[in-house]
Amino acid sequence: MEILAFVSFAVLVVAWLVAPSRGSVAVVSHAEAPAKAA
Amino acid sequence: MPNNISAGDTAWLLASAALVMLMTPALGFFYGGLVRRKNVLATIMHSFFILCLISVQWVLWGYTLAFGPDHGGLIGGLDWLALRGVGQDPGPYAPTVPHEAYMVFQMMFAVITPALITGAFAERKRFKAFVVFTLLWATFVYDPVAHWVWGGGWLGQLGALDFAGGTVVHITSGVSALVAALVLGRRVGYGRDALEPHDATMTVLGASLLWFGWFGFNAGSAINAGGLAANAFVVTNTAAAMAALTWMTVSWLHKGAPSVLGAAAGAVAGLVAITPASGYVDVSASILIGLGAGVFCYTAIQLTKRLKVDDALDVFGVHGVGGAWGALATGIFATVAINSGAKDGLVYGNPGQLGIQAIAVAASIIYSAVMTFVILKLIDVFVGLRVPESEEVLGLDASQHREAAYQI
Repeated sequence: MEILAFVSFAVLVVAWLVAPSRGSVAVVSHAEAPAKAA
Repeated sequence: MPNNISAGDTAWLLASAALVMLMTPALGFFYGGLVRRKNVLATIMHSFFILCLISVQWVLWGYTLAFGPDHGGLIGGLDWLALRGVGQDPGPYAPTVPHEAYMVFQMMFAVITPALITGAFAERKRFKAFVVFTLLWATFVYDPVAHWVWGGGWLGQLGALDFAGGTVVHITSGVSALVAALVLGRRVGYGRDALEPHDATMTVLGASLLWFGWFGFNAGSAINAGGLAANAFVVTNTAAAMAALTWMTVSWLHKGAPSVLGAAAGAVAGLVAITPASGYVDVSASILIGLGAGVFCYTAIQLTKRLKVDDALDVFGVHGVGGAWGALATGIFATVAINSGAKDGLVYGNPGQLGIQAIAVAASIIYSAVMTFVILKLIDVFVGLRVPESEEVLGLDASQHREAAYQI
């Protein structure tokens, strides 16, 4: 299970590297809808 | 009963009760930031009022229904009505702390559970209906299910593992929230207007205070100031962090930006999912539980939105789905190496535990859904659930409380 834990964290780190990165933002959305959760 | 009270255990349990108490107003801020400014006071009032209401209900009859001497595995007797016989000596559930300390720790769980539901009917529920609903729900849903799992009832006898409330707190509140959202219907302007959070900073502050209080929720559930509490503390923090990272990553890939509110919601989802498992799993399992919480809860919320269910603040997606995942994950990852008084789960050679956990999940879903539906329909007949459309447009702060949150 330790291996799965390391792999899952590594997957997140790789995802941050390939995730879209916007240089400029024309319109700032106040909040994304699906994040309204408790 | 001989008096074996431990000063350390008692101090930790009382401190934990205070930590869990803080979670309910923190929830008010978490939810308050997510609604429009015309409803922020009403939303915060839901949590604050429940703190007061259930504090009294619990000492009068809630505690004895949940934890009183067992009747048929279904409900506690009335022996401890108004806390008769619940005093400074230890009770049957915790031999090293005063019975009153155990009672007040459990009170804070009873307080926050109905407060979680309020996120589903935010911005449209009549205050009077909310008051009646909370009192009935606490008495006829929370107290019996708490008895089933923790008070010597049938799920506890069956061997269901729920360290701090995956079934009792999160599945019951999450499923009831979904039922409430369906029965009340959508808010005015849903799908047409932007029903956006009015203060994301308030929400992040609320999430942070929830996280802080959750150490009492989970580590306090060890009921002693020892190694099990330390393990629960560590896995709680780890799962919350992993779920926040996961939710933020999934939403980043899905929506194109790393959302601050997404990270806050993800942390709460992780805290929910680790709750039933926190006294039974190791730190590697908590990372996987946090990962699952981030993925499953985020996906569930996308589905409810696609189905146009107006669960205003996504209570079902986080608490219903997160609680169910946590309860099932307990049956997968539990190990006696962490808690010698428990049982191994699936990955340690005991697949039967996963079946028992599934029964506990199904029972809490079915019971809370049916009872919540009945309670809401009765209230709709006698009181009316929703405010009139004109009052909803005006906002609940003005229409229900005649106050405004901000003068600037």
